[in-house]
Amino acid sequence: MTVMMKVKTLATAAGFAAALMVGGAKVASAEDVTLTMAVPDWPPTRIMKKFFDEQYKPASGNTVKLDVDFIPWPDFYTRVNASLTSGEQKYNFIVSDSQWLGAFVEGGYFRKINDLLDADPAFMATFKSIHPNPLNAYSTYPHKSENYYGFPQFPDVLVNYGRADVLCNEEEQKNFQAKYSKKLPCTGEELDAMTWDDFKNVGEFFRRKKGEMLAGKPADDDFYGIAFQAGKGYDFSSMQINGFIWQMGGDTWDETKVPNGQAEGVVNSPEAVKALEKYLSLIEYMPPVARTGTMDIFKSDELFREGKVAMNVDWIGLGEASLDPKTSKVSDKLVFGQMPGTLGPDGKMIRWSNIGGQPFVLTTWTTDSQIKEAVEFVKWWLSPDIQHQFAAGGGQSAIKSVYEDPKYVTYRPWNRAWAPQLDWQKDVWHVPQFFELLTQQQDQFDLAITGKQDAKTTLDNIAKFQQNLLTEAGLIQ
Amino acid sequence: MSAVVIDRPAPQLFEVAPDNWKLAILAGLVVSILAALALPASVSFWIVGAMAALVAAAFVVNAYRRGYYGGLLVAPAIAVLFVMNIFPLLWSLGLSFFAYQSNQQSIRFVGLANYVKALTNDLAAPANWHALINTAMFVVFTVAAQMIVGFLLALLFSKQFPLRKYLLILVLTPMMLSVVASGVFFTYYYDPTFGILSYVMNQFSNEQFILMDNKVGAVAGIVFADAWMWSPFVMLLVLAGLVSVPKYLYEAAAIDRVSGWRQFWNITFPYIRGLLMLALLFRTIEAFKLADLVILLTKGGNDTLTISYHLIRIANEQNKTSEGAAISYLMLFMVIVLTNLYLYIANRRSQGA
Amino acid sequence: MSQSSSFLERIGFFKSGNVGESGWGRTLGVGLISLFYFLPVLFIIFTSLKPQDMALSVPPTLSPTSLFGLIPDHYVFTPTLENFSSVFSRSMTSGGAPEPTGFDRYFFNSIVIASTSVFLALIIGTLAAYGFSRYPLKGNDTYLFIILTTRMLPAIVVIIPVILMFRVVGLSGSYIGIILLYTAFNLAFTIWMMKSFFDELSTDVEDAARIDGSSETKVFLKICLPQVIAGLAATFVFGLILTWNEFLFALLLTGPDTRTVPVAMNQAVSSGGRGTDWTLLASIETLFLIPVFLVTFFLQDHLLRGVTFGTVKR
Repeated sequence: MTVMMKVKTLATAAGFAAALMVGGAKVASAEDVTLTMAVPDWPPTRIMKKFFDEQYKPASGNTVKLDVDFIPWPDFYTRVNASLTSGEQKYNFIVSDSQWLGAFVEGGYFRKINDLLDADPAFMATFKSIHPNPLNAYSTYPHKSENYYGFPQFPDVLVNYGRADVLCNEEEQKNFQAKYSKKLPCTGEELDAMTWDDFKNVGEFFRRKKGEMLAGKPADDDFYGIAFQAGKGYDFSSMQINGFIWQMGGDTWDETKVPNGQAEGVVNSPEAVKALEKYLSLIEYMPPVARTGTMDIFKSDELFREGKVAMNVDWIGLGEASLDPKTSKVSDKLVFGQMPGTLGPDGKMIRWSNIGGQPFVLTTWTTDSQIKEAVEFVKWWLSPDIQHQFAAGGGQSAIKSVYEDPKYVTYRPWNRAWAPQLDWQKDVWHVPQFFELLTQQQDQFDLAITGKQDAKTTLDNIAKFQQNLLTEAGLIQ
Repeated sequence: MSAVVIDRPAPQLFEVAPDNWKLAILAGLVVSILAALALPASVSFWIVGAMAALVAAAFVVNAYRRGYYGGLLVAPAIAVLFVMNIFPLLWSLGLSFFAYQSNQQSIRFVGLANYVKALTNDLAAPANWHALINTAMFVVFTVAAQMIVGFLLALLFSKQFPLRKYLLILVLTPMMLSVVASGVFFTYYYDPTFGILSYVMNQFSNEQFILMDNKVGAVAGIVFADAWMWSPFVMLLVLAGLVSVPKYLYEAAAIDRVSGWRQFWNITFPYIRGLLMLALLFRTIEAFKLADLVILLTKGGNDTLTISYHLIRIANEQNKTSEGAAISYLMLFMVIVLTNLYLYIANRRSQGA
Repeated sequence: MSQSSSFLERIGFFKSGNVGESGWGRTLGVGLISLFYFLPVLFIIFTSLKPQDMALSVPPTLSPTSLFGLIPDHYVFTPTLENFSSVFSRSMTSGGAPEPTGFDRYFFNSIVIASTSVFLALIIGTLAAYGFSRYPLKGNDTYLFIILTTRMLPAIVVIIPVILMFRVVGLSGSYIGIILLYTAFNLAFTIWMMKSFFDELSTDVEDAARIDGSSETKVFLKICLPQVIAGLAATFVFGLILTWNEFLFALLLTGPDTRTVPVAMNQAVSSGGRGTDWTLLASIETLFLIPVFLVTFFLQDHLLRGVTFGTVKR
């Protein structure tokens, strides 16, 4: 064997092996279509998969398989981000937080769906029946433009969880009335009517030490009036603080005003500073863990379910556990209302709040035959019948005909707050720099929450950072 | 020491022989370059791999024919390490000279700009330094705690006594826990409302006890959890050294009435020095990488952000791949200097002994 | 220094090593310390036995038994084994029927991946360590140091190239890929550790054997290897523990079919649309502890016996 022959044989063998590996992975018959999906592992996505397996019959006659990779929540971003950015091209559908849109659209991973909508009037009709606020939040990049990307998987808003047994207790009602000359909110409607000042009163009023009387009995442990998210991780304070800022006339950096919108002077406007001060003034009425900067959405929910607080503002997505007697000590004593608001100068309630939940999006490497089936699947998912079943199983729907159906409020006790809140939802930035913006903001808010700096300094630091970063990125001129 | 070397002439450059590694390298290079230029990446990758294997095979045959047992024994390890570790390391080293974000498609050569930014930028440099100083603090505290506790535990177990086996396994268990589980449970232990620590402390005072609301408490909490988990590692290494000391040395010392301290220093210590060094080396390297416990316990709050967590934020969350690579190579440089210092001191001591 | 050392001398603190046997007194003392050290683990194990609604009770419940009235009732919980079955099968939607969670598969994956890679690393690494120790190459220390540097960088830095490489080669989500990666991950420690054991051996016996005409292979297998069994055991245990609990590579390089327990464990950290499911997390961890606990326990004799053959330098 000569050298060249040896080399040739080796090269051929290697090439052959490579062809086998590469080719083998991509062969798919026209009759079998598999859609691969990356989702966080929690009930809304498990229900989706279950409905698909039990009920979905593709109109095309193909065999369609939904291959779902359930990834635990804490690592979801890391896993998805690494999969996308490494070019693994593994998933056709991805559940994505609305903030991620810009980063992954710019990277060329998320597929624009305008052409699919235009090609299919029925699809377009379904799509347009989504409430405009969630639609903007979950689907548009640039934010509020007409470029569409996602479909609601689990839409979510913040609501107020209350403990009826303590709030409606006669003695507590009497004492509260005497102290604040106002009625202690007890029903859902009364909770709806609360302002942050009322919320603060509840916090101050229900601060009880172990052994002090609470609703006619000595408290078996320290008891607190209120809780909401005030944690350093991910977006576990921004989502709450944004609501305060928008309600009180301030604003966050507005990307729909690119390139003229500023961060400096907007983010740290006097209104915004006042709003943050209001937010911070409530921390002292919350359970002590708030002072460590680890009071995230899960911790405040846990404290509420363990019966340590009277009211908790949190996502609907965490609500199921509080209804389940196995995981909740307060499952039979619940009352739900809208998140507290702020009274405007005209005496009307302003209720701006940061939207939660996730859309799911298509990826750019999804083949034509897959896309055909994917569109059918999405239409099926957003169809009123399935959305009703989803809501009855603990999900939420942003489809108008579904949430306006009188049946809707009977599915879950918090659903009465759902439709009115949808009108007041805004979203944070969708720009690719979102994670840098978010991390720095969360770090600064954490310093304020743990009492290391005041509201003014905090917002000044955030404004300066954002102005700098966004100018560098060409988003501010 | 070295084995019998078989005298055999090296093959000519163009002689086709299984042990002609020079020709293998030459052929491998030519074919690899041609393949990389002419064929798509997914195919040329395999061809380059095959060429690497060819060269490696030639080296092995060469080593075998000439009795270079050292190279032969080491080769498989080097091969695995090269493919799985050194190659990706070199890749990311290369990336550190480019402007590259993993979520964007563009890449541009920028020379040392990422390093300059990490060291001098108004915003980036102070953050890097600060995280590095925090890391240094954690390295000192956690490694010192692990070495001391691990050493003391090893002394406790160095003698034979009834049930020793059953008690030792209790002490070894913490390091078998997964960091996620133990970290999450430490958040519970430290929790002011539900946790055991606050429950105990509240029995003694009227003030609500909160461990993690200040820097001292937060650092103490992290160091305690880390030291608790990894002291058994040090213990096991030291113990392996302690039990290898031959009995007769102690018997001789007892006859000579050597004091306990001298006995320890002159007889015991030489046996555990190497393993202590190994423990110190590996724990220091691991301590520089401390991130998971910080993420679980404080999210970097109360000024506990470490360089590793900082790096995760930059390289993973924000996808600034090349900037992250630059910072990590600066960090690697510091770890290399430090470990070399350790090794230098250790080697000088052992030559002096 | 002298004062403290004299105190320590008096209590016989430095009389370590196999200088003699001690009795039950030492058992009692060491036992108390060990138990104290073990408490956080014990708490996790107990949590796995608690009814779900008692996981966070205040005051904390500490014991499944009142120990004949020794422990006050409010610290005692009624143990249940329900949590362990919910590791493998539970309702994943609210009010839905129990469904398999896939944990049987994850446990199987963890066992296969960890044991194979540690064995591989031990074989390859011991050969290399012997090579480094007995046939030093030119620049021996440099090679050793380069091997060490592979452990110095946080995994996050090399992960992107590794994912890319795995994708090109088609190893992503396969057993082979993650096993090879873990093998490399363990090699540095294995080589350094085993080299320090080989270095401690006296070469007299080996040289004698060579003069008697033993082959190099025979010298290695029959003379050197038996003397470092303790080292092999210790290295195996360390490697197993580190690999067993590795998280980041497993998260990013395994697929749904090859996922390991440390990754899947986060199911319980954010469970069913709420925060931590404490009893579930404790049950997973307790089950996950058992295999590595048993291996360590059974290799313990080797860990302690040390270099038994007595042919020690110095």
